[in-house]
Amino acid sequence: MTVVFGFLAGMMLVSALGTVLSRNVVHSALFMSGSFLAVAGFFVMLGAPVLAAFQVLVYVGAVTVVILFGIMFTQRPQARRFSTIMNRQIWAGLLIALGVGGLLSVVLVAEDWGDVAAGQGNRNVEDFSLALLGVAPGTGIFVLLFEVVAVLLLVAMVAAIIISRRKPGEGEDTRPDGQQPQNIGGGS
Amino acid sequence: MGQVVEFLNVLNQEPWRFIIGAFAVLNLVLGSSAVLVMAERKVAGYFQLRFGPNRVGPRGLLQPLADVIKLLTKENTAPGRADMWIFLAAPIAMLLPVAVVWMVIPFAPETVVANINVAILFFVAITSVGALGVIMAGYGSRSNFSLLGALRGAAQMISYEVPLILSLLGVVMLTGSLSLVDVVNAQGGGFWNWYLLPQLPMFITFYIAGLAETKRVPFDLPEGESEIVGGYMIEYSGMTWALIQAAEFAGMALMSAMTTTLFLGGWQPPIAFLDLGQFNWIWFAIKTSVVIFTFQWIRWSIPRLRMDQLMDLGWKVLTPLTIVWLVVTAGAMLVF
Repeated sequence: MTVVFGFLAGMMLVSALGTVLSRNVVHSALFMSGSFLAVAGFFVMLGAPVLAAFQVLVYVGAVTVVILFGIMFTQRPQARRFSTIMNRQIWAGLLIALGVGGLLSVVLVAEDWGDVAAGQGNRNVEDFSLALLGVAPGTGIFVLLFEVVAVLLLVAMVAAIIISRRKPGEGEDTRPDGQQPQNIGGGS
Repeated sequence: MGQVVEFLNVLNQEPWRFIIGAFAVLNLVLGSSAVLVMAERKVAGYFQLRFGPNRVGPRGLLQPLADVIKLLTKENTAPGRADMWIFLAAPIAMLLPVAVVWMVIPFAPETVVANINVAILFFVAITSVGALGVIMAGYGSRSNFSLLGALRGAAQMISYEVPLILSLLGVVMLTGSLSLVDVVNAQGGGFWNWYLLPQLPMFITFYIAGLAETKRVPFDLPEGESEIVGGYMIEYSGMTWALIQAAEFAGMALMSAMTTTLFLGGWQPPIAFLDLGQFNWIWFAIKTSVVIFTFQWIRWSIPRLRMDQLMDLGWKVLTPLTIVWLVVTAGAMLVF
């Protein structure tokens, strides 16, 4: 268990650092998916495979793909590389990061977590998630999660239709078959 | 003798059982994809009234061996401007999700690598990662054809994920469980108990969405060799190309196995007295092979869809159909 924990923690830290330090936006997005996968691994270790599955489904499967889509569609190839990783907000960012880190450290040290060494947290997390969702033990937990995912899907579909709908006066494309010329962000 | 039994008992304990099972499943995936390449060519040959590969071994049955040797010894080339890390990681990112899902599929009674209680959710989650590998391959190659293929592939896979997931819900509702073992157990007793009949629209939707998810004809726009000469895999060669091909064929086998498990009773025999006990995996293999054959049948019979037809089919036909049948299923469960 400790080995697995170490592997996941290392994977997560390396991916997170890669996300921040990488100078290529696409690399950052892919590193981020690695970090999400490590979080899913933590959920499995904590005895919450449902959360892990949704973590992979929503974050790795959907969010990362959409981010990559956005990058490819919107950015010119040259703009995908940034010359510097520092910017004007470095001091404010450092301050906030240190503040959040200090606060989390204080909370983590002060709180009594009981017997939650790596692989020992099953019962606590189960209780926690049941309390969070307000459902009885058993299969009931899946029902609410399915509902949530269904609503999420519906909202995403409606939003996609709204965004992609062309307004009547806006017809920039008058080809008879009504097809848009595809604008792919590929560099040549 | 006693020592052997004891040794086998140790191997049946949890960490070793899982490790051996995972290793066996990985070998099954790679082996089946090698065999399926040959099956594809043979089926194509017979559909076109020719022999197909028939030089290596009896009736060409050793062709996969020759193919593997050829692919292992070929040079691995990459475009000079390729994004090397992404380029090389993409085939792995495509093969791993396909291989991992096999672990939750029950091959026979009590024969499943990991009997997790959210197996269907696991399948859905891992399937959604597949689009990532396609995008990585297309972007990493730094080639216009590759990128075009990757964008087509990702758009198609994301679109067809919706009917794919929705078509699973009927089965989940009827079974009352997300475990594939429970799903198969609930379909016992004869072929009239399979979910094929009460869930026929869902079965058709899952089948079509499975075709689209594995990017096979008539949904092979991401590859479209007559338009974009191979799409996202155009720049790959040697072993990396072989990994992508293995991912595609293993994905086809996986979709067939999932179709079998969810709608065709898994390892359940069609009639109760044909029960083979522990050898029920033969039924699973037969059903999966038949579904794979229909995949290949369709490939050599139907022309490719256009992009707008593809999207129309996914969003305007399959998705409403699944939602309607979901309501019908719920109503039927309420009444009966």
